[in-house]
Amino acid sequence: MDSLVEIRDVHKTYKRDAFEVPVLDGISLTVPRGDFVALMGPSGSGKTTLLNLVAGIDRPTSGSIIVDGREIGRFSESELAGWRARHIGFIFQMYNLIPVLDAFENVELPLLLTTLSKRERRQHVQTALSIVGLGERMHHYPRQLSGGQEQRVAIARAIVTDPTILVADEPTGDLDARNADETLALLESLNREYQKTIVMVTHDPKAAHHARRTLHLEKGRLAEAADSHEQRLEASA
Amino acid sequence: MMKFLKLIRRNLFRNRMRTVLTIALLSTIFFFITVLMGILHGFTSVTDEGLNRLVMSSAISVTTRLPFSHEQKLRQLPGVVDVCKEQWIGNYYKDKRNFFTNYAVDHETFASVFDDYKVDPQQLAAWKADRRGALVGSELMQRFGWKVGQRITLTHNIHPYDAELTIRGVVHHPVNDSSLFYHMDYHNESMHNAGQAGLFWIKVKDPKLLAPLSQEIDAMFKNGEYPTETMSEKDYQAGVVAWMGNIQLLFTAISSAAILMVVMLAAVTMGMSARERVKEIAVLKAIGFARPAVLAIMLSEFMLLSLLGGVFGTLAAKGIFRVIDMTKLTDGAVRGFVITGQLMGGCALIAMGIGLIAGGLPAWRASNLRVVDGLRKVV
Repeated sequence: MDSLVEIRDVHKTYKRDAFEVPVLDGISLTVPRGDFVALMGPSGSGKTTLLNLVAGIDRPTSGSIIVDGREIGRFSESELAGWRARHIGFIFQMYNLIPVLDAFENVELPLLLTTLSKRERRQHVQTALSIVGLGERMHHYPRQLSGGQEQRVAIARAIVTDPTILVADEPTGDLDARNADETLALLESLNREYQKTIVMVTHDPKAAHHARRTLHLEKGRLAEAADSHEQRLEASA
Repeated sequence: MMKFLKLIRRNLFRNRMRTVLTIALLSTIFFFITVLMGILHGFTSVTDEGLNRLVMSSAISVTTRLPFSHEQKLRQLPGVVDVCKEQWIGNYYKDKRNFFTNYAVDHETFASVFDDYKVDPQQLAAWKADRRGALVGSELMQRFGWKVGQRITLTHNIHPYDAELTIRGVVHHPVNDSSLFYHMDYHNESMHNAGQAGLFWIKVKDPKLLAPLSQEIDAMFKNGEYPTETMSEKDYQAGVVAWMGNIQLLFTAISSAAILMVVMLAAVTMGMSARERVKEIAVLKAIGFARPAVLAIMLSEFMLLSLLGGVFGTLAAKGIFRVIDMTKLTDGAVRGFVITGQLMGGCALIAMGIGLIAGGLPAWRASNLRVVDGLRKVV
């Protein structure tokens, strides 16, 4: 697999009043195309910050982040917005659907930034919703859906533009066990069947089990050991 | 932008109660602004009536009267067709609440000078023949249920006599249908033959003569005991407006204050609306909506909200005053009230301006929101 994301000696420091709080401390990492990486670590370890940097919604204090051959830290604000629209699909813990739009309209949102016609947009949305198994619920509003269904709509919104990377931040954090399993199975199938590259932050070792490999962060640094799906399979055998 | 209309529309009505109340507030303000501007239009607009009339009053003050003897001097001027003296009386019918405009006028020249007031010739002749006869506006006849031939007494208010009159005719006018006219002779007799009147209406042969004649008249009386101030009827109406305390300035100040108030209230509402959606705005930005797009979406929503308020208020004013006659409602004090298309368009523009100003800061803040800050609580 060729590398899709290259993170080179990335530091990130936040300023809190007069204090500087280092969050990431010299992270270097490569994510191959088609990988499914779980980022684990205790609260404050910097995993969400790392995810935000990969997704282009935050900038590193130093170091470089190269996605698909382009260093995204050099993009202007508007270039970065356009880049995110084309290359990133977001999945949030609390789904973050727009409550005044129904499932179809929520999924359609990222497509409004494209030049697709209304008919083409409809086709894309229907495809995305059928992939997540919600083809029958496209005109339901978020309040009319269960948490699991809302998260599947959010996943449909994330994949509808066929992005280069899916970034998921605690995607099962607000779900019960059954819905969490279904969501993770969906992500796994998106990775295996549609070769989507996924970077997922999670606290849950069970969730991380669905990833191809798991990276551990401790105090802004990557822990030495990173276990892969294959290693885990071997261990369990 | 059309692609985002659905999002804008849905966001606009996400909190229906707040939206409805904000629109109601804006509508109320715009209703009053429209009415005020319509009244102002009436005061300042040019009407055909009176284009060939001059009004002569005292140059000393509005309460100073002029001697009857001025009339003969006026009649000698070339271009003067006729003269009608007029005195505003200010009496009322039975109760002070039954106030309306009533004048003493020259019965012989009234119909000639005020040819825009239409009276049945027989009734006019009957009025002329009766020293205590009255001509009454049709609206006033309806208001009090009077009949031609009925005797009425107008109780004194300013002048020291009660006018005992017999209604001899009904007068019709396109704007002023609620005034009463009776004989100057009767008034003068009741005032112990003082021989004075407040106004002299001068009908001229040609509207082009209005300006030179007014100068000539004032020059003629300049050095006398009773200097005059003469102007066209239109200028006189404008002068009355000025005398009433510069209503134009007052109305503009009231409207401006109302607009300022509504801008502040709308800013609070819009700021609240934007703050409630911080996470959603962050999500929009995360999925690729750039700063200008977020700004445009938010501003469009706020401007649409204001526009709806403005349009509803203006249309309500237009609708209500299509049914209710402002002139009749104000007993003729407000004439020429009209809500023009230009006024409505102006109100719509002001409404959008309010949305732009009140919503500008919240929209700008939303568009500049850092995605990570907006998502922090949920990511």
